[in-house]
Order: sequence, then C-alpha cells, then structure tokens
Amino acid sequence: MNLRGISFLVSIAVRHLARRKRQTAVAVSGVAVGVGFFLAVSAMMIGSQNDFVEQLIEAAPHVIISDELRSPSPQPGTRRFGEGAVDLRGYKVRTEVRGIKGWQGIVEAANAVPGALASPSLTGGVTLRLGGHEEALAIVGVDPEVETKISTIEDQLRVGRLRDLETVQGGIIIGEELAARLGVKMGDIVAASTSSSKARSMRIVGLLKKGQAMISSNSGYVLLREAQSLLGRPFIINRIGIHLDDPYAAQEVAARLEQRFGYKAESWQERSSEFLSLLVTRNVIMYSVVSAILLVASFGIYTVVSTSVSDKRRDIAILRSIGFSERDLQLIFVLEGIMLAAIGVIFGWMLGYVLMEILASLSFPIAGEDQSVPLDRSTRQYVIAAASSFIAGSVAAWLPARKAARVDPVDILRGAA
Amino acid sequence: MNPILEAHGLGRTLAGERPVVLVHDVDLTIERGCFTTIVGPSGCGKSSLLYLLGMLDRPTAGSLLFEGRDMSGLSGDVLAQTRLARLGFVFQFHFLLPEFSALENVMIPMRRRGRLAPDEVRARGFALLAEMGLEGKERKTPDKLSGGERQRVAIARALANDPALVLGDEPTGNLDSVSSARVVEALRRLAHEEGRAVVCVTHDLDIAALSDVRVEMLDGRVEKVTDQRAGR
Ligand SMILES: Nc1ncnc2c1ncn2[C@@H]1O[C@H](COP(=O)(O)OP(=O)(O)O)[C@@H](O)[C@H]1O
Ligand SMILES: [Mg+2]
Repeated sequence: MNLRGISFLVSIAVRHLARRKRQTAVAVSGVAVGVGFFLAVSAMMIGSQNDFVEQLIEAAPHVIISDELRSPSPQPGTRRFGEGAVDLRGYKVRTEVRGIKGWQGIVEAANAVPGALASPSLTGGVTLRLGGHEEALAIVGVDPEVETKISTIEDQLRVGRLRDLETVQGGIIIGEELAARLGVKMGDIVAASTSSSKARSMRIVGLLKKGQAMISSNSGYVLLREAQSLLGRPFIINRIGIHLDDPYAAQEVAARLEQRFGYKAESWQERSSEFLSLLVTRNVIMYSVVSAILLVASFGIYTVVSTSVSDKRRDIAILRSIGFSERDLQLIFVLEGIMLAAIGVIFGWMLGYVLMEILASLSFPIAGEDQSVPLDRSTRQYVIAAASSFIAGSVAAWLPARKAARVDPVDILRGAA
Repeated sequence: MNPILEAHGLGRTLAGERPVVLVHDVDLTIERGCFTTIVGPSGCGKSSLLYLLGMLDRPTAGSLLFEGRDMSGLSGDVLAQTRLARLGFVFQFHFLLPEFSALENVMIPMRRRGRLAPDEVRARGFALLAEMGLEGKERKTPDKLSGGERQRVAIARALANDPALVLGDEPTGNLDSVSSARVVEALRRLAHEEGRAVVCVTHDLDIAALSDVRVEMLDGRVEKVTDQRAGR
C-alpha cells in the first residue's frame, strides 16, 4: 500500500475516535497522567541519583591508596626460603611499620597516569583539649596546594581557606560543630596531643560546614609536615588520594596501581558499592511503578479500541466488500491505539513539563541550607516515556484489532440483508 | 459472447454437524455490457451466490474465472485488491459509513487505492454524485439523506474505481417505486452505455423483466437462464 493509502487508514481511525470523544478523552488522560508522572518522578529519581553520585565522586579522591594490604605480606623468612628443604621456624618476625613505603614512587607512578593527580597525606588520631574539655579528632595532614586540586574541601569550608594552613604556624581546620562543642572560634588556640607526644598549640584557621555527608564532623585538616611531627611519624604517609579527570576510570587505575605496588587501592565505586547497588534497586522500583502506570493506561486504550471494533462490525464488512484487506482493517484499529497513545504522550509531556517546573521552583531547607530538588530533565526520559506508551498502546490495540481482521463480511451482510 | 466472469460447478456448503448447502453446482457466465438479474424465492441462495461471484466468500466446490484468471486459491489480499480495483458492490441497506459525508463515502475506494491525486479524487467524487443526480448533497452525512439518495450514493461509491463488474444485492429492495426506477435506470446505463457487467439480485419481477439476462434460482441451484435480448 502506498502512502496515500496509509494516510487514508489514519483518517478513518481519526473519524472513529472523533465519534467516541468521551472514551477517547478517558484513554488519553490515562496515558497523559502516566507519562506526566513518569517524567516528574524519573526526573527526581535520576536527578537525586546524579546529585548523589556526584557527591560520592567529588567528596573524596577517586582512588585512595592506603597503607593496608589486601592479604598480609609474607614474612622475609618465608619469602626467601619458601620452598626450601629445611622448615625454618622461630626466626624473628618483623613488625611492619605502618605507612606506605616508597610512596614517592607511587605518587610519581600515579601522576604519570594521564589526567591523574595524586596527593599524599597522613591521617591519625589526636585529642583536642581546651580548658577541661576534650574531643577526639581524626586529623588529615595534607599538602594544601595539591589537595585543593583533588578534592572539594575548599567548597566545604564555612570560613578560611585550605592554603591558610601554609601561612599560619600550627594551623588547623576543624568542623564547626566540633568547634561549637569546644567553644572555639576562628583564630582561637587549642591544644592537640597524641598518646606519644606532648601537647602542642594549634590555631583554628578554618571551619568546615556542618552536615557534609562525606566528611565526619570529627575530622580536621593540618599541614602534612605538621601531622607527621604531631603523630611522631616523620616522612611517613599512609594515604594517597588520586583525582582523575575521568572518574569512571577509577576502578581500572586502582586495579593497576594495586597490582603494581601491593597496597590496597580503592576506587570510589568500590568504596560505595553498597550505595550504588541501592541505586539499582531504586531504579528497578521506579521502572516497575512506571510499567504499572502504563499498563493501566493501556487498559483504557484496549477498552476504546475493543468497543470501537464491536461497534464497527458493519463498517468493517462494507470496507472489506469495497476491497480493504484483513490487514488494512487490523491496521486501522491498531492506528486508533497508536493515536490515543500519541495524543496521550503529547499531553503527558506537557503535564510532565509543568510538574517539573513546579518541582524546580521548590526549595527546601536542609541542614540550614536552602536546597532545591535535584532534577534530571534530559530528553532521554521524554523519549523513554513516549516509546513505552507507543508500545503499550500498540499492544493494547493490537489484541482487539485482530478481531476486526477476523470479521467475516459475509456473516454481517447476510445478517443485515 | 464477451464473458467477464465464469462459474463452473460452483458450490458453497457450510460445514458443521448438519452441513447446509447454500449454493450447489452453478454454471454461469456473466457478460460485459449486459444487465443480469438473479431471481428466486427468499432463502434460495441468491445472496450466497452473489458473494461467491464477488469474491467476498470462497466456494467449497467448483471454480471461478474472472477476466480469464482462476480466482480459486488466491490469497485474501489478492482478492481484496481485485474487489478494490475491478468490482463494485451495492447492497440493500446502502451501507454508507455514517461518519463520512456523501462525497467522502464516494472517495473511500479511490483513496484506499491511492492511484489518483487528492484533487482528482475530489473532482471524480463530485462528478459521480452529479451523474447520480446528487448535486448539492455532497456534504451531507448519510443520516441527512433519503433512502433513494443513499442508495444512489452507494452506487456512485461502487463506481469510484471504474469497476468492470458491478454487483447489487437487492439494491432497490428498500426503495419506493420512483427511487427504485431511477436506480434501475442507472444500473442499466452502466451496462449498456459504459459496457460494464452488472449483476443484480432482485425479487422485483418488473426489474427482472427489464434485464438482459434473467437467472432463476431454486434451492441453491440455477434452474433457468433466459436471454431476454433476442426478443427486443
Ligand atoms: N450461517 C448460516 N447458517 C445456516 N443457514 C444459513 C446461514 N446463512 C444462510 N443460511 C441459509 O442459506 C440459505 C440461502 O441464503 P441467502 O443466500 O441469503 O438466500 P437469498 O438471498 O436467496 O434470500 C437461506 O435458507 C438461509 O437461511
Ligand atoms: Mg438475500
């Protein structure tokens, strides 16, 4: 059949639908509501997911090499004489000094990866003391120059800058909640000590905003040198954070570095694998709900097309006698379903757009900050909604349309004559 | 003899526990330029035979040659295409599509066929309706037309694709005598002036008397075929 023939079948389908306006409106609304809410819900789900993943990616280095080993390294004795005839026992077991050995080499190797920047750091526990008040603090000794390039700490500072650690002797950055508990403000002096060192004075040069998901309220930043001397571990570092231009290469880079140097190298994906699998579950739930909505919408289409077929048995017979084939008749009624879906999709897109505009205009105070709903408003969702509606509509219409094709014109003509 | 349609031993039996014979062993030749009527008592199988001749129904016995081509065993699509391009049907109850105007009804076969451009289709639709004396009624939907007018719209529609064979199943059965005469006159003209083959089932013996060939049926069989042209 040529294009004119097909466009004519379309116009017949249009007439049929125009005849039953109310039913058509109901079926179209079903699709429109389904599509509209799918757009709004998926925009929120995907938007919050992207937001969340972005936080996961940006809050900490993409790859973190720590001084842990996945499996303890063999003792030197076994290493040398592993398969020997003599079983060596009772040799002196070497205690490992924690820290990454040869870290300069690892940093160099990491920096050699295109788009990668490595920042060595030392973490450890200290006690902050002011008057009679004591608070435990996990400090991270960093090189501010490099660290600002690989993490978002700078953005998370309420006051001060990371660079100030370099200019202020004994500078420290702590969370604003901790500062409140200690009763200190910017520029105040606190005493920091560890079990092995005596207390020294530190000056607050920056405060971290509270409510940061990825940074514990009990961690603080000092200069790397400061941390090494405070923790009594000169020249040692126990963590290398690596920032990548392409965060999604993290797993591969981590695996390579771990393979080469033996130290545990964790990608952000590995660190947050539980969160990521939670997101998969969320998506499965979302798409199930959407499928259910579309299923309900396709019931409406089925009803319209099905009643249309039974009402039009006479017309079907006359069209067949004129020379329309079984396939033509089937197509006419499938087209009715597709058109219902199409009109529904257009209204659904508009509804979804309006709902998203409303969502976008809302803002909620979360932890004192005004935050808007993260929305993903990509055209991909519009396309998915349309495609699934068309499929649902065609299938829902195809079932009764087969009945139309099977109508025997002779039965109808005999009955009427 | 200028045959367009030839039936040989044509039969149609409804299968079932007690098979019903609708048409039995019919040999019949339909000629171009000839107005043929089929008559017989109600229930004798006239409509059933017409559906077979019009390829709307498939015979269970015998064969049908249309324009020299054996139609038995052809696919439904081919038969539909043949009906579209070569045949025109007119039924007792006019059978117009209610959503479409008179003009649109006439345009249906042409638009489905897709041979003519839209403006040609429209022009031909107007011309066919005018030929049937329906000027000014083109935009009316079937419910706004009288019975005779509807039946003439149906004839115009049957002629849309310029068919070689026009089949009518009691096309005047539902009309008053004036309308009936006009319809019969139109059908005769199709045969005599335009050279089409016209076959009409009727129980109106006056109409049968006006026809060129008269086929009498009884109990599913053709009893007698009378060529009435010789006497005129
Ligand atoms: N589906 C059917 N089942 C049983 N009998 C049928 C069926 N269809 C038609 N008939 C019978 O077949 C016979 C022929 O019908 P038909 O061709 O319509 O006759 P006509 O047009 O001459 O009045 C009638 O007696 C009718 O009752
Ligand atoms: Mg009959």
